[in-house]
Amino acid sequence: MSALVTFDRASLGYGRRAVLSNLSFEIREGDFLGLVGPNGSGKTTILRAILGALQPIAGSVTRAEGLRFGYVPQRDQVDYGYPLSVVDVVLMGRYDRIGLGKRPSKADRELACDALEHVGIRDLSERPLANLSGGQKQRTLIARALVGDPNVLILDEPTNGMDLVSMTQILGLVRELHERDGLTVLMVSHALNEVANYVERIALVADGKVHIGSTDEIMSEETLSNMYGIPVEVSSFNGLRIVVARRAGANTDLHD
Amino acid sequence: MIDAILLFADALYGALVIALACSTLGVYVVLRRIVFVGAALAQISSAGIALALFLSGIGIGAFGLTQHPVALALIVTLAGAMVFAGSGRQRVPPDATIGAAYAMAAAAGILLIAKAASGEAHDIFLQGNILGITRTDTYVLFAIAAPVLIAHAVFYKEFLFISFDRETARTLGYNVTFWNLFFYLTLGLVIAFAMQFAGVLLVFNFLVLPAVAGLLIARSMRGMFAVAIIASLTASVFGFSLSVVFDLPTGPAIIAVSGALLLIAWLIRIAQQR
Repeated sequence: MSALVTFDRASLGYGRRAVLSNLSFEIREGDFLGLVGPNGSGKTTILRAILGALQPIAGSVTRAEGLRFGYVPQRDQVDYGYPLSVVDVVLMGRYDRIGLGKRPSKADRELACDALEHVGIRDLSERPLANLSGGQKQRTLIARALVGDPNVLILDEPTNGMDLVSMTQILGLVRELHERDGLTVLMVSHALNEVANYVERIALVADGKVHIGSTDEIMSEETLSNMYGIPVEVSSFNGLRIVVARRAGANTDLHD
Repeated sequence: MIDAILLFADALYGALVIALACSTLGVYVVLRRIVFVGAALAQISSAGIALALFLSGIGIGAFGLTQHPVALALIVTLAGAMVFAGSGRQRVPPDATIGAAYAMAAAAGILLIAKAASGEAHDIFLQGNILGITRTDTYVLFAIAAPVLIAHAVFYKEFLFISFDRETARTLGYNVTFWNLFFYLTLGLVIAFAMQFAGVLLVFNFLVLPAVAGLLIARSMRGMFAVAIIASLTASVFGFSLSVVFDLPTGPAIIAVSGALLLIAWLIRIAQQR
């Protein structure tokens, strides 16, 4: 599998202050990668470097030629006060293809409706964005990312503030997009427990470093304890992995 | 009654041009939650006029700029617009920057006018002098408003995208800094010229109240623009007429009608929700 984004000894930061140093890893074609770490660990900094919005202080971040991202921002980053319908929002994903100063055509509108069909909410296309549930809003933003026909789908904290049902449905949809369409997916999240059971590889960000590997490699007690700096226990329940911080004297009895 | 209103026909046309331009840009001002940028830019513009009058009074020509207060007002307003356009990621929150600029510009305007040899009363900056608009002024206002409105019509989707979700726009290759600056410069341009005649309060009114009425009852961006424009033009015609017939100050009369239209929009909104 060819590399779509390559970090080569890259140091990232703002001004002269490096937040993360000496990062070397790749996002490969067909990857299903989770970029995971506690709040403030530097996930957004890495994300901005991947998207090209932040240049490395040292080293390099290279992107494959013609690479196109489908970006799904955090839900609360979008202002739902605008009087826009669902299909209006999805059309924005094609604005750069439509061209400067031109209006979306009927064909663009049909593609937007197809993208909505893809994420299971075509029937909501004319509904005001503000009237949707959290899960439906997230599906709208995913449809907007897909309508531009991206090589890589990037989701920033896609399950933030969601209830259990919506969270499970959204993560299931993302996995389906990866498995069914072969889409390369990067999912950014602070919630290791949510992401670990869906992605195939994890890039764990902590203490200014990135530790990347298969889910099995990263989800070991030794690796996680070292990265988080506290004793961690990895248990499983009905085939799902669960990470818990170990408390002195506590008995975590979740094993199958 | 009609005859009395027609005596000021040129002033009415000027007011309509100001209403059209301000209410169109006001849609973004309201949606982007930057209503006080409008107030601050209007105040900065008035400080620019006061600065021109003050410098002129003490014999400083500044390459002829002080002979044309609108020119200096335009320069300081566009400078202010550029500062606001770039105040997104600073340590000081954007609303604090706006508040500080508003207070300083208001104080500077009052102080400079107080010491200007040939200054007008400061009230002129707050209330404006709509009735004083001549046909030539209307042509000038139209010459400024038309390109701004055409730019907003042509680049509608670009302005919408960078206002609605700038991070995603950036990932699709949009130069968000450029478009944001472009937006603020069009806003500064319209405010600087409208301020000369309409005053701070009326400009602020045209930027905010019609767009809020649109937001209350429209279900699409097109609808919001339409309601905002219709509300601002209606308020101008009725407010202007009432002020002439009943000998009321024109600016506040237009604002009062804008307020009444906003109330109607709010009642329509309640009816829509039932």
